[in-house]
Amino acid sequence: MIIEGGIVYDPINGVLGEEMDLSIEDGRVVEKAGGSEVIDARGMLVMPGGVDAHAHIAGGKVNTGRIMRPEDGRRGTEPRTKLLRPSTGYTVPNCYAIGYRYARLGYTTAFEAATPILEARHTHEELEEIPIIDKGALTLFGNNWEVLECVRDGDLGKLAAFVAWGLLASRGYGVKVVNPGGGEAWGFGGNVKGIDDPVPSFDVTPREIIRYLMRANEALRLPHSVHLHTNNLGKPGNYETTLETLRAVEDIAASRNRQVLHVTHMQFSAYGGTGWRDFESKAPEIAGYFNRHDQFTMDMGQLIFGSATTMTADAPLEYGNARLLKAKWSNHDIELEESSGVVPIVYGRKNPINAIQWAIGLELALLTEDSWQMIMTTDHPNGGPFVNYPEVVALLMSRRKREEELATLHDLASKRTSLPSIEREMDWNEVAIVTRAGPARILGLPEKGHLGVGADGDVSIYEINPEKVDPSRDHEVVKAALARAKYTIKAGEVVVRDGEVVAVPQGSTYWVDASVPEADAARVRADLVEKFAKYYSIQMSNYMVQDAYVTRPRVVRAGVI
Amino acid sequence: MRNIVIRPRRHFRVPVEAERITPDLFAPLSIEEIRSLEVWEGNRRVALSELFDISGDEGPGRAEETQISLSGDFSRVKRVGEKMTCGRISVAGDVGMHAGNGMAAGEILVDGNAGDWLGREMRGGSIKVLGDAGDYVGAGYRGESCGMRGGEILIDGNAGDYLGEHLCGGAITVLGDVGDFPGIANRGGAIVIGGDAHLPGAEMASGTITVGGRARVLPSYQYVETVEIEGLRFKKFLGDLVEEGKGELYAASVEEGRG
Amino acid sequence: MIEEDVLCPFCGCLCDDLKVEVEEGRIVGVKRACRLGMSKFMGHERIVAPMVRRDGVLVETSYEEAYERAAEILKAAKRPLLYGWCSTVCETAKKGILLAEEVGGVIDSTATVCHGPSIIGIEEKGLAGSTLGQVKNRADLIVFWGANPAEAHPRHTLRYSSNSTGMFTPEGRGGRKVIVVDVRKTRTAKNADKFVLIRPGTDYEVIAALRMIVKGKGDLLPDAVAGIAKSDLEEVADMMKAAKFGAVLIGLGLTHSRGRYKNVDGALSLVADLNGFTKFVVLAMRGHYNVAGFGQVCAWETGYPMAVDLSRGAPYFNPGETAACDLLARREADAMMVVAADPASNFPRKTVEAMAEIPVIQVDPYPNPTTFIADVVIPTAVCGIEAEGTAYRMDGLSLRMKKVVDSVYPTDEEVVENILDRVRRLGDDN
Repeated sequence: MIIEGGIVYDPINGVLGEEMDLSIEDGRVVEKAGGSEVIDARGMLVMPGGVDAHAHIAGGKVNTGRIMRPEDGRRGTEPRTKLLRPSTGYTVPNCYAIGYRYARLGYTTAFEAATPILEARHTHEELEEIPIIDKGALTLFGNNWEVLECVRDGDLGKLAAFVAWGLLASRGYGVKVVNPGGGEAWGFGGNVKGIDDPVPSFDVTPREIIRYLMRANEALRLPHSVHLHTNNLGKPGNYETTLETLRAVEDIAASRNRQVLHVTHMQFSAYGGTGWRDFESKAPEIAGYFNRHDQFTMDMGQLIFGSATTMTADAPLEYGNARLLKAKWSNHDIELEESSGVVPIVYGRKNPINAIQWAIGLELALLTEDSWQMIMTTDHPNGGPFVNYPEVVALLMSRRKREEELATLHDLASKRTSLPSIEREMDWNEVAIVTRAGPARILGLPEKGHLGVGADGDVSIYEINPEKVDPSRDHEVVKAALARAKYTIKAGEVVVRDGEVVAVPQGSTYWVDASVPEADAARVRADLVEKFAKYYSIQMSNYMVQDAYVTRPRVVRAGVI
Repeated sequence: MRNIVIRPRRHFRVPVEAERITPDLFAPLSIEEIRSLEVWEGNRRVALSELFDISGDEGPGRAEETQISLSGDFSRVKRVGEKMTCGRISVAGDVGMHAGNGMAAGEILVDGNAGDWLGREMRGGSIKVLGDAGDYVGAGYRGESCGMRGGEILIDGNAGDYLGEHLCGGAITVLGDVGDFPGIANRGGAIVIGGDAHLPGAEMASGTITVGGRARVLPSYQYVETVEIEGLRFKKFLGDLVEEGKGELYAASVEEGRG
Repeated sequence: MIEEDVLCPFCGCLCDDLKVEVEEGRIVGVKRACRLGMSKFMGHERIVAPMVRRDGVLVETSYEEAYERAAEILKAAKRPLLYGWCSTVCETAKKGILLAEEVGGVIDSTATVCHGPSIIGIEEKGLAGSTLGQVKNRADLIVFWGANPAEAHPRHTLRYSSNSTGMFTPEGRGGRKVIVVDVRKTRTAKNADKFVLIRPGTDYEVIAALRMIVKGKGDLLPDAVAGIAKSDLEEVADMMKAAKFGAVLIGLGLTHSRGRYKNVDGALSLVADLNGFTKFVVLAMRGHYNVAGFGQVCAWETGYPMAVDLSRGAPYFNPGETAACDLLARREADAMMVVAADPASNFPRKTVEAMAEIPVIQVDPYPNPTTFIADVVIPTAVCGIEAEGTAYRMDGLSLRMKKVVDSVYPTDEEVVENILDRVRRLGDDN
């Protein structure tokens, strides 16, 4: 396949809006392709396929969201066609809608942000059912008893061996840490209040859990860093916890050419104030810190007005949300491992808290000077569904749009944040970084997020001419063009044409196989044999995700030996 | 007023989904065009004229001045008058589920019985049923927090369970008895029941429910006083206290079960 | 040969620690199974061969003809109902949903006659639950409401609840309190620390009274609620608030008595209230070993967990209108396919009469009353014994079922796939 004459943005390869041809053969970008398939991209924007590094798209809590929200299911309903399965849902779409909608946006890769090991089989069952895109899942470790015990005992070797085993058992891609220690405390209805608040029964602190997991992550040279959801997330004044957490790990070095820690959906962790009455943005403080510390990255967790479904392993947060909002509340604690919750929410423009939250996400993105440190997400579907990414891009590219939106919001969005004074408008190169190149680099996917020779043949082509359209002024044109890719090409196959899905290949699933010294692995096995005998409600032999659940694996090797 | 008459050509075993039978959709069309509108009989898409005889005044006309007269057994025809915003539908006989779903204005008159979910998520207008109605009159869709928000439903006969579930506005009057949980989880609106009711106002946050007959009242309701309404004496309760509710429940007679 | 850690394809406990002894391709012994699981493993009468009804009589035929006949029936129907899916694996459910899409049918599971009301309750309030291991390791109070595991889930109490031991529950039953609420003194009730006998159909009122007490509004209650002394209810509420970790386990006594999903809705609210004081979870005691799995698959494929009407190509969900019992009670369905279930035994009489009037296809390893009214009967291998695949335990945990012996019969999944294939050959006119 040859893509002719498009205006290409490929930041990893330093291509900034050059008119050029691209060749794809056998699913990969090549110097020169044979064959006769030619796509005329003249006058169009061409970028690598979008990469979503953090979304909740598969597994127990996503399905709980569907089951408890038939009212969401009926929104976004599309009947089956000869090619497509039916679609349902807006904030919690069915599996097919997830694949189709990502593809229509020009996205070709998305990672599920949190799966407990025990329920990873379910996560993979859903990932297998999502069409078109490549996928992966981050595995939860921050409240796992074996982790807490290794941290308590200061046994880094065993912890690393357990992380490797947990990734294998869950067919997971990376180390996700959510409200470390808080999930265990929630087992008896408690929580931890900060990074030095001890975890009941285990005599460890969140600070220790985070540090040890980061050290284990680096000892294993995993492709991705620890992916952290901070303690006290969603609470006024939590920016101090966030900064304290970052300061606590400044001495840890990355083992690979990437960040040493990714702090996810930062919007929810950048709050000032002592309560909701004096709630305010501390995004400038957070972004300022990131500007001085290039070893850390974050994603926005941008809020989208309207309906959302919050879902997180931070179960105490969800209980608080449900009580505050008088909303439906689902909770699911997972023996020895995690807890989680799901609560629907509607974000209102005239709600002062929501309006400030909306501004914080944008402040973070625009005040973080190096775009490689900050990637775009809505923490789907917590801040809002991923189908709103074009809206977020338009906001990042147009100060005029931000002003238009601010005029419709509660005035505290202007008074308690710095957004009105921010002049920065992202250009197409920066957009390509925060939606493609950055997430691919942060996840550690060398074949994604760029269009150099050897890269996956994942390309998105939008019917907008970057040389003619001024995104600052014509933000509606930008949003409309990004919402319906002219072409999405996945592994060299056209899957979307004129905004419609035209082919439904099945993508692959990334997971990380990390090797560890046998002595450490044996010590972990001995611990686990005891835990299964005494505490788990299933047999150890039935625990691990079987090969049958990952039919198109893409295994990344890592480890200490 | 332009009158359009629709008669079933046969008995339907498989329900017909006919959300296109509304004054809004019919008004700009000729009779011939109306005949070719598509409806669903189970999983088959069919022209309206395959299932119904359609006659009446030639169009087009204004929707406000359009009356649709359904004559015969429409008990298996669903979604009649869905989302209508004006005009009138009269049913000489029974009508199926979901009549007047989400209607905004206009009028539906049923001289027989109505199926379940009559006036589901209704916003305005009026529905009158001379016979009985099924379950979920004026209720919401599964999982939603609001059902009917406005308009009026009047049922001369009895109604089934979950009448006015999640009611957020408007008025429902039933002259006869109702089933279990009328006004459950309502957040506004007014329900008047002429006959008996079982556990009215469970989880009511606000709104009023009046039971002219006998009501079994939840233990989470607080008796306030006996009041006189239009010459009749009612016991007044407040609740539902499990939800810190401020709803008012008036019952002429209270069934044993609470003290 | 002994197969270790075999999963039990009987009830929602989905016990995964069975030892199955196999000799020369036959099961000769099972260890650790309860009597219900044991009977399934040791086998009983099977449908021998595919059958079709000719002149009113079921006669043996080939699989090929049975598939063809099934496809024709489904294809000809305007409102086909595809029902069951509880005693088979998720892989079958996936194919079944695709088949329902292709034939424009309504698909529903046995939840319609068990915990369907629980799911509708969850749609109102959400579900504050946990895995069963969390109950095992932490619960010091267990409430069985309308549930009788001693009869229906024999190993539940030992593996997961009252009598289990765990990290924070080393004393097992001795360190726990058990409350049973039911309309009769069941075997489970006999073993309780506190038994509350309630009048049938008053669950909702009793739950409302408990919520009042928990919220500190007990003063406003009458001296008795639905025949239960207020002091009894206060004792129950005190026990609940005093627990460090309480678990409410709900059964069909709650979901299928007067009040139905509102009873569950009330129980979910009570549990949410209690979390303001201590830790509480609620779980449904699901019946068949994979009825939960169908709900999960159906939710991720169609957006809804049961009762999905695909007749117009887009999923539509409205129990009360689109559940199997609804369609049959109204005599709407004009054909029915039953996979791994026995509605003729479990459904209300009126609905079984409706089944008898329409063509019925049965896919099942075992003959049962549904066989007598079926027009096409297709025997299959027994999932979890003769075929592998995925099942979801009552708490939503997925596990892989094993195949311990070979079978001459095709799997459920293969049968559904074959019918789907024949349907497609007949053309897609949706």
